[in-house]
Formats: sequence, C-alpha cells, structure tokens
Amino acid sequence: MTNIIETKDLCKAYGSHTAVDHLDLLVPEGSVYGFIGPNGAGKSTTMKMLLGLIHPTGGTVRLLGQRMDARNRLDILRRTGSLIESPAGYAHLTAQENLQIVADLKQVPRKDIDRVLEIVHLKEYRRRKVGQYSLGMRQRLGIAQALLGSPKLLVLDEPTNGLDPAGIQEMRSLIAEMPRTCGATVLISSHLLSELEMIVDHVGIINNGQLLFQGPLDKLRRHSRGNILLEVLNPGPARRVLGAARISACDGGDPHCLQLPALPETSVAELVRQLADQGAGVVGVTRRTRTLEEIFLSLTESRKEVV
Amino acid sequence: MLIRCILAENRKLHGAVIWLVFLVVPMISALYGTFNFLQNLGLLTFDWYNLWTQHTLFYTLFFFAPMVGVYAAYLWRLEHLGHNWNLIMTVPVRRSYIFLAKFLVVAKMTLLTQGWVFLLYLLAGKFWAGLPGWPPVMIVIWLLRGVLGSLGVIAFELLLAMAIRSFAVPVLVGLAGGVSGMLAASRGLSLFWPFALMQAGMNSNRKDDMLSGQFFPFLLACLVWAGIFAGLAILLLRARDVRAE
Repeated sequence: MTNIIETKDLCKAYGSHTAVDHLDLLVPEGSVYGFIGPNGAGKSTTMKMLLGLIHPTGGTVRLLGQRMDARNRLDILRRTGSLIESPAGYAHLTAQENLQIVADLKQVPRKDIDRVLEIVHLKEYRRRKVGQYSLGMRQRLGIAQALLGSPKLLVLDEPTNGLDPAGIQEMRSLIAEMPRTCGATVLISSHLLSELEMIVDHVGIINNGQLLFQGPLDKLRRHSRGNILLEVLNPGPARRVLGAARISACDGGDPHCLQLPALPETSVAELVRQLADQGAGVVGVTRRTRTLEEIFLSLTESRKEVV
Repeated sequence: MLIRCILAENRKLHGAVIWLVFLVVPMISALYGTFNFLQNLGLLTFDWYNLWTQHTLFYTLFFFAPMVGVYAAYLWRLEHLGHNWNLIMTVPVRRSYIFLAKFLVVAKMTLLTQGWVFLLYLLAGKFWAGLPGWPPVMIVIWLLRGVLGSLGVIAFELLLAMAIRSFAVPVLVGLAGGVSGMLAASRGLSLFWPFALMQAGMNSNRKDDMLSGQFFPFLLACLVWAGIFAGLAILLLRARDVRAE
C-alpha cells in the first residue's frame, strides 16, 4: 500500500521549545488516519506543516507522491482539501458566496458547489449568511469547502471540536464515508481516541511532538490486553507458586484476590494448572481489558515508544 | 488565475460595511470644502478651480490616505478573522496573487472613490455654490493622477494591515501620512515620499499644476514605491508562518 503522506524527521522548533520532534508520519492511501494526542501535543503544527502553512525547521514532507516545496506546492494543494483549527468563512456572506470564493480560487466548476452542499446537508441553508450559522453548520461548511474539487487527500484538524453529541455523530458518519463516497484519504486529528476509534482504520498517537504509536487500529487493540485478577481460596500456596514463577502479584484489595500483570494465554493456563496442583483453590481468573482510551492515556503519560 | 483572485476579493466586498465609509467620508469633505469656499469668497475667486482647492484641502489632507488605509485594513481584516488565513493560504494560488488581487481591488475602490469625489464636487459646485459652466477637464486628470499617486500608499497600507492585526493602525498611519504628505509636497519632495505623491497627483489645494512637465518622473516614483512595498509584502507572505486566530 502506498503512503499518501510521508514525513521524514519532521521538526518544528520555536526558540528552545520543540513543538514537533523528528516525526515520521506514514498515512496509507485510502485510509482514515486518526492523528491523536492531547492539546498542545503538536497535531495542528504537524498538519500546518503538511499544508505549507508553517515552515518546518527540519525534515521533509511528501504528499501525494510529491515533495512539499515551492515548486510542487500548488499542484499538491490542488489535490488536497483541508479544515485547520476551526472552520473559516466570511460571516457577512452566504454559504453559497463563501463556496463560490473557494471554487473560484480552486478553479472548480460552480456546479461542484451543489454536490458538496448536498454531502454536508446544507443545501437548504445555502442563502443564509454564515454569521447566522451555528457552530455545527459552520463545521459542515468548512468540510464542504475542503471537499470542493474532489480532493484526493483531506486534512481535518479536530473537526468535531465544539459540536454537541448529535453534531459529533453526524460529522463522524460524514467523515467515515469519505473514502467510499469521495475516494479521499482522510487525516483527521482529535485529542480523544474514543471519538475517532469508530471511524479510523489507522492511528498515530503524538505527545510532546513525538510519535508514540503509529499503525493499524487493530495493532493498537492488541495492546489492550490488561492485568489479570486472580481469586483463590488459599493465598499462601498461591503466592508461593507465583514467587517460583517469578510473577509479581499485588494485593487485589481482598486477601483472596491477587492482581497479576498482563500474561500471554499460554502462561495463564500453565499458572492455573500449577495453582490447582498446589492446592491454591482457584475460584476465578479475570482478564481486565484496557480500553483504547486507557492505552492512549498510558502512552501519553508514560511517553514510552511502543512501536 | 489573478483574475479569479480579483473576482474572489470582489465577492468578499458584497454587502460589506466598507461601502458606508466609501459613501459617507467623501460627502463630509465635500460639505466642508464647499462651505469653506462659500464662506471665503472674499479671498477666493468664484470659479471651479477655487472650489477644487477647498475640496482637496480637506480631502487629501484628512480623508484620502486614511480611506485607503480603511480599504486595506478591511480587506485583510476579513482574513485575520475566523481562521481565514488558513483558507486563503491552502488554496492552490500563488501567494503573490493573493496580495496583488487585494492591491488591485483597493486600487479599484480608490478609483471609484475618486469618481464619487468628482460627482460630489460637480453637484456641490453646480447646485449648492451655483458655479457657472462645467469643471475644467484638468480636474478629472488630477483625480486620475491621484489614483496613480495612491498606488505606493495602497501597497504600503496593505503591507501594514497584513503584518499588524489591527484595524486602527493603518487608518491612523494614513492620517499621519496625509499630513506628512502635504508637508513633503510643499517642500518639493513629492517624489520621495509616497503620501506626497497622492497630494501631487491630486494637485491638492493648487490651481496651477504641481506636476507640470514632471508626469513621467511622477509615474515612475508611483510604480517604484508600489513595487517596493508590494515586493516586501509578498516576501513576508512567503517567508512567514501563517498564524490564524
């Protein structure tokens, strides 16, 4: 699978502060890539560097097979749609007029305006001034602006920010359908993994400007195997077995409950056999599965590179 | 592509409050100038040239450059507000065209303003002052020369309004520029100060032509000043990181 976005050692420093630190981002073509990190992690800075809005202090950016530089900038932007930070628009103009401005600048036929208004469900509000739009409608207008000209790549920076739950749901379905309806690869950022896990197939987790994880969402899910809670009738023999197997056990809040670290299935089966042999009286073995949000939090808090 | 950028800039002016400034400000200077003309008929000759001196005395000193400042500040304010910088800098358009389109649109608005100033001058002279005959053709030429004289100021004000996220600064600089331009023009330094070029082009507060035989040096100075400021602005657009708010 070819990558539609490739960065190599991408850096951005503001004086002594490094906002983006040697980032190697790989976004496969046709994917919906969730770019996730806490506020201030470097997501917007990275996205702005991808689009040439800010100049990197190091590294390279390749988009749609071309290096992002002065020579290729216009060609890349012609095939890219974006919504950065929050929706843009001229408040004293109608949605139709706003889209006409963007259509003119993108050299897109005016009839494309109808198509994008249809996609974002704003057709009946096209003659209303954008200043009278709700935030959700403005976000949708921002998406419509990005969709003009049927771009091959969509870069969306926190498009669900400030939306109510219904608006978030609507935006999610809109974005999830884009590879199918528009044939576009989508790079979408958020500070909440839970918000994106239903629509993305690839994930990049960033914190303090560094990429902590990158890969398919399934790969991240494999990290969700969590601690094991062991419930026994006789804690003494159980502790001896665990000690012999060099498995550290913490108090599970009850003398008969022991909390064990994440173990492979085969190790768990062998352990249960030994515990039974030694008369520990196994009552229960429960694997505690971590949510993706917990993995995200543990990654961003520990700042460890897992992949 | 530049044409498309100009069309986009023109569209941004639909229903914009800037047209109120366009209509009202020249009316103030026309009212004040005509009133002053009629009050000083003991000192002034009752003719179109003398009415012109009074109209331009106020217009070029206090209104012309600040109006250019308002136009420039407004066009950039539209981008400063609501993350529109991100929008205009991610469309497939040369950065130089973004600036040049704004430059040409402000120049167009300045030309329209001069037309409105002439119409007000004509109406005030004919129906309020009751001057005989019609204004001399030179008045029209001076108004058009005023547009040429304003090119350097337009580029400068656009540069300022782009770099500084303030509406007031370009307007105040325009006001100070109008006064400084009059001082420079009165000392024969018109070609060396862009704000003085506006005064010289308009033949402000004069009956005899300030630029007699000096049109080409004047034109060259207008283009050079406009080129310097436009060049600086385009360089800044290319080199600076976009910071939308």
